[in-house]
Order: sequence, then C-alpha cells, then structure tokens
Amino acid sequence: MTSHIAAFGLRKSYRKGKIEVPVLGGVDVDAARGEFVTVMGASGSGKSTMLHLLGLLDQPDAGQVVLDGRRIDDRPDRERDRLRNRTFGFIFQFYHLLPELSAVENVMMPHLIREGVFSYIRKRKQIRRDAEELLDRVGLGHRMAHQPSEMSGGEIQRAAIARALVARPEVLLADEPTGNLDSSTGQGVLDLLRDLNRERGLTMILVTHDQQIAHQADRVVRLSEGRIEEWVPALV
Amino acid sequence: MYKYLLCWRYLRTRYIALASIVSVTLGVATMIVVNSVMAGFADKMRDRLHGVLADLIVESRSYEGFWNYEEVMARVKEVGGDDVVAMAPTMETPGMLRISRGGRPAESRLVQIIGVRPEDRAKVGDFAEHLFDQEGNRIPPSFEVTDAIKALSPAGRDLKALESDPEDTFLKESEREWLESQRDKQVPIHGAILGYALATYHLGNGRDDIYIADIGQKVALAFPMQAKIPQTGADDFTVVGYFKSGMSEYDSTHVYVPLEELQRARNLQRASDGKGSVNQVQIKVREGADLDALADKLQLAMEQLSPMFFHVSTWEQKQGPLLAAVAIEQSILNILLFFIIAVAGFGILAIFSMIVVEKTRDIGILKALGASTAGVRNIFLGYGLLLGAVGSGVGMAGGLLFVRYINEIEKGLSVILKHKVFDDSIYYFDRIPTLVEPHTVVAIVAGALFIAVGASVWPARRAAKMHPVKALRFE
Ligand SMILES: Nc1ncnc2c1ncn2[C@@H]1O[C@H](COP(=O)(O)OP(=O)(O)O)[C@@H](O)[C@H]1O
Ligand SMILES: [Mg+2]
Repeated sequence: MTSHIAAFGLRKSYRKGKIEVPVLGGVDVDAARGEFVTVMGASGSGKSTMLHLLGLLDQPDAGQVVLDGRRIDDRPDRERDRLRNRTFGFIFQFYHLLPELSAVENVMMPHLIREGVFSYIRKRKQIRRDAEELLDRVGLGHRMAHQPSEMSGGEIQRAAIARALVARPEVLLADEPTGNLDSSTGQGVLDLLRDLNRERGLTMILVTHDQQIAHQADRVVRLSEGRIEEWVPALV
Repeated sequence: MYKYLLCWRYLRTRYIALASIVSVTLGVATMIVVNSVMAGFADKMRDRLHGVLADLIVESRSYEGFWNYEEVMARVKEVGGDDVVAMAPTMETPGMLRISRGGRPAESRLVQIIGVRPEDRAKVGDFAEHLFDQEGNRIPPSFEVTDAIKALSPAGRDLKALESDPEDTFLKESEREWLESQRDKQVPIHGAILGYALATYHLGNGRDDIYIADIGQKVALAFPMQAKIPQTGADDFTVVGYFKSGMSEYDSTHVYVPLEELQRARNLQRASDGKGSVNQVQIKVREGADLDALADKLQLAMEQLSPMFFHVSTWEQKQGPLLAAVAIEQSILNILLFFIIAVAGFGILAIFSMIVVEKTRDIGILKALGASTAGVRNIFLGYGLLLGAVGSGVGMAGGLLFVRYINEIEKGLSVILKHKVFDDSIYYFDRIPTLVEPHTVVAIVAGALFIAVGASVWPARRAAKMHPVKALRFE
C-alpha cells in the first residue's frame, strides 16, 4: 500500500540560547489514503512539532515530507501556501477563530484566502452555501451569524473543524481536537471526524493523549524520545 | 479577498486605532484651514497691491527724474503696441508730513509724496476706487479745493455762522471781508489726498477712528529740493480727501499731490520752458498680456533711449519682498503643521505594533490556512491606508467646512470671548478672506495618506515575517 502522506527521518531541534534542544530525532510516519492514524505521546514529546512539519507550517532540520510520492517540504513559499490552503486541513488544540468575523465567515476563510475579489464575487453564493452546510453538519446551523465571543468552547471547536474541512482537504491534521472538551462533546467531535473520514476518504492524522479516542483509529502510533513506535491495538 | 474583509472589519471594530488617527484628522483640517486663509490673504493682498500699483513702472534711478517723459511714453507705446492701455507720468519722492491742529501738538510723519495728474493716475490702476471723504463716501479723483472744502476751514466755519445770523449787517460786512481773507490764508490753493492711516488714529475694538487731519485742514509737506547741495523745501496743501486701499503700507505712507505743484515746489522745472520732470511712468497693460516679457522688451528699448538710466519693473517685482514674505510664512507654517501629521504617524506606528502583537494568533491561523506573506502584509498596509483615508477624509471635510463657515465661527468666538478675534480694522477686510486651492488640498491629503501608510509599513512587515508556528504557540 502506497502512503498518501509520509515523513522520513524528520529531525527538528529548537535552540534555547546556546543549548540545542532536540525534539524530533528522525521520525518516520505515514498514512495511507483514507487512513485514520492517531498519534499518542507524552506532553512535550513533539507531537505538535511533527504535525506542523507534516502540514508545512515549519521546515525540518533534516528529513522529508512526501505527499503522493512527491517531496513537498522543499517547495517554494507560494506552493507551500497553496498546499496548506488546498491539500491540508488544520485543527488546532486551541481552536482559534478570528474574533472580528462571524462563525460562517470564519468557516469561509480558506475560500476567502483562495479567491481574489472578482472570483469571490462570482462564487460567493456557492462559498457561503458550502460553509453553511458544513456548519449545519457540525451542529451549528443556529450559530451562523454569531461572533466567536458569543459562542461556547465546544461550539467554537466545531466551527474550527468546519473551517478545516470546508475547502475539502485531502489530509486533515488535528492537534488534540478534543483535549479541551468534556468527554461526551469530545466523542461527538470524534464521531463527526470519523464519519467525514469514511464519507470523503479523508486521510486523518490526529494527535491525542486520550486512549479511548486513540483506539477508535485504524492505527495508533506513539511518539517517544523523538521517534515513532508502532502500537499494535490488538495487544492493548 | 480576505485582506479587504479583514481591513474593513478591523476599521469598524478597533476604536483605539481610530483614536490614533484623530491627530491626522486635526492636522489635515488645520493645514487646510491655514492654507486657505493664508492663500485668501495673499490673494486679497495681491489684488490690492496690484490694484494700487500699475502693471508696469518705468522709473529713473535718480529722484530728479527726467524731462523727456513724452518721449519715453511714445517709446513705450511703440514697443508695447496695443498691450499698453494707459500711462501716467508720476513724481514720487520721500518727504515729511506735518499735521498741526489747534489744541494738539503738531505731528510729523515720514511719507511717500506722489505727484500725479489724478485723471491719468486713475486710468493706470485702482486709485479713484480708494478715494473717500470724511463720511466714507467716494469722491472723484481731483485735487481741486472747492468752495465746499474752503467752507470747512476754521474761518470758513465762522463765516458760515455769520451768514446764518440775520442781524447786524454793517459789522457783518467788514467782518465778512476779514474772515474771507483769513479763510483764503487758511486754505492753501492746492489740494492733497492723505493716506487714511496718516490722517486718523486707530482706536480699535469697534470704536470709530479719530481724524487728526480733517478735510479743509492745512497740512505741510517737506521734501528734497533739486539743488547743488542737498536741501529741503516745503509747501502747504489742503486736505481734500483720503486714500484708503486696505494696504496699510500704502495707507500709512502715501500722500498724493498735484504733479505740477510738486515739480514747482521741488524746483524741478526747466528754466528754458518751465517743463517739470517726473521719475516714473506708470503703465497699465491689457489684461492677459505677458508682463514679464513686456518688461524685458521695454527695458531694452529704454536702454537704447538712455543707457543705465531707466529701470522697468512689474508690480510683482516691486512688491517681491512682501509677496515672498507671505510665501515663506506659508511654507514655514506648512512644515510645522506637517510635523503634527508626522507625529500622528508615530501614533499609528505604535498602535499598529500593538495590534499586530494582539493579532499574533490570527496571523498564525491565516498562514496555516494558506495566506501568503505578502497577503498578511497587505492586510496591515491596507488597514493603514484605510485609516489614513478615513482620518484625512474627515479632516478634509472638517477643514473645508471650517473654511466655508469661518466668518460665522469667528463671530461666535468673538461673542464667547467678548472681544473681536479678527479685528477687521487692521486689514480693513470686512470678512476673513479664504481661498481653497484644490491642488493644495490634494497635496495635504496625499501627504497624510503617505504618512499613514508609511507608519504601517514596519508593523505590517513584522506581521508578515511572523513565523506561523511561533504565532500559533503564542500565548
Ligand atoms: N519555539 C520553541 N523554542 C524552544 N522550544 C520549543 C519551541 N517550541 C516547542 N519547543 C519545545 O519542543 C518540545 C515539543 O513541543 P511540542 O511539539 O509542542 O510537544 P507536544 O505537542 O507533544 O506537547 C517541548 O519540549 C517544547 O518545550
Ligand atoms: Mg502539543
């Protein structure tokens, strides 16, 4: 099985003054098209760092990120911007919405970034409809015009999920999306992601430290001491 | 698309940033008001200067002047052709004016004595327009000492009182003769027109000016005489009117007297034929003619007539220092006021830097969603431009409104402060003159926009350079 997204020998260290703090020491990770992979690991083990490297938000010190067999981490800025906009969907641990925009406008943001003024005006009905549909889907049909300041944490997180998915990305990178939610809300979010994963054939890499959630995935990997170790779910 | 949406939203939701452009607004408004008022003043002043001064003046370098002014005028006509509309020979000389009046110590003042033929002078520039009697009524350009003016002398007044007394006819007859002779002594036969500010005391604050030289009163003039050694001469004149142009420089120095009388008194008449000399020929030129070009041509012609003797100048050259002074004042004020806007630029810079820090996470999200570095930079540049546009737009509207209603505002302020803010008697303008020059307004607004955008360049670059991961990890 060829992998949809993969990383080979990812290394990343942060410099704190003169001391170099190694975070990733040669991470190999991959996910097949449509596969749902969860990443577990202790806090500070570098899970977020790995996700950022996979999603081209940062560049590795060494190693490669490969999408559909093509190396992408060394592409020029324009192309990386484009890949972030079209191919990847991000869900962050802190589910940040832009406070000046309403829920639906926040969800439209990937499209707003993609389109110029004129193409936006041409496509604006479709763009808004997509955003509204997805908000409806995450159960926020009644919160379209609300400002983030008028929404609860769970609602904001679901809006952020809608934002990550509205542009129909191929790869969803989620960094502890349920970390700040109570367990039933968290489970609701996970069910939603799982459905989308099945429906759209979405490749998902999801970071969590909740075992309950991790084991609903097709595969679980563990990040520890800067390296990935496979976990065989059956053994747990 | 997101750039425009975000700029627009930032503009509508960040009132603190709007506060930072208040100084842009005030700066733009102040600059527009100051420039409009100064341009108005300068314009009015040019108008009046030009009104009083003839378009072109041919003058001799010596005070003794020249006798061949007919020849000079013929050459001017020859060179200028149809462009020359009217000419007036004039004798201008510095001198002293002495005003004495019963019960008051005599006053002497330095003046510019201008000998003219009034009808000719009236043709070459505004002159007749500025002549008034004591009641403020216009009078014709003439130096004639009429019977009505004679009757205003002290003896004339006594005579009038006598005539209205019906009794005592014998005494009256002898007394009348005496009074008549007195009157003719008191009233010199030649009239003089005094600059209004020479003839009055200005009290200010809405009180009437006090005349120290009434019409019909005798005044004495002293002036340099044509002689082997420098020597002064003097002559008496009767005040027949006042010259009030609104240019205090003229109104406080000019004394107009009949040309021939001044020539006689200064001993400027040729022994051979009694013809007097003049030191200026004032020329009125057809409207729209190129003054500078004509002045050059005339200068050349005058050099041929008599080398190194004549000097031809335009009215603007004559008043060059004054006009230049106004222009310098205006540019200094503009520089100072522009500093206000520049200061506002630093305010924008500070507030923008704050906003960029506050928006760190937003910037991280935008970049994660695929926004480019240039895109993020343009959000803040656009925001700066928008703020500048709002600030200078409001400032422009406010400034133009202020200029439009400046006289009403002045009246209101005068009532509140209980004294006149704009003392119209200083400049004799009944309203504050204003002139809105579109190119000035455009330049001011463009300058303000430039500063607003300039001030946002640094914060915008910082925002654009922000590393997305650092921005996302920002607490
Ligand atoms: N900008 C940075 N400078 C220095 N150290 C950093 C920086 N970002 C992350 N780290 C360190 O890298 C390690 C991994 O961080 P992270 O990827 O967020 O871990 P996780 O998401 O697994 O909790 C942590 O020890 C963290 O302190
Ligand atoms: Mg993390």
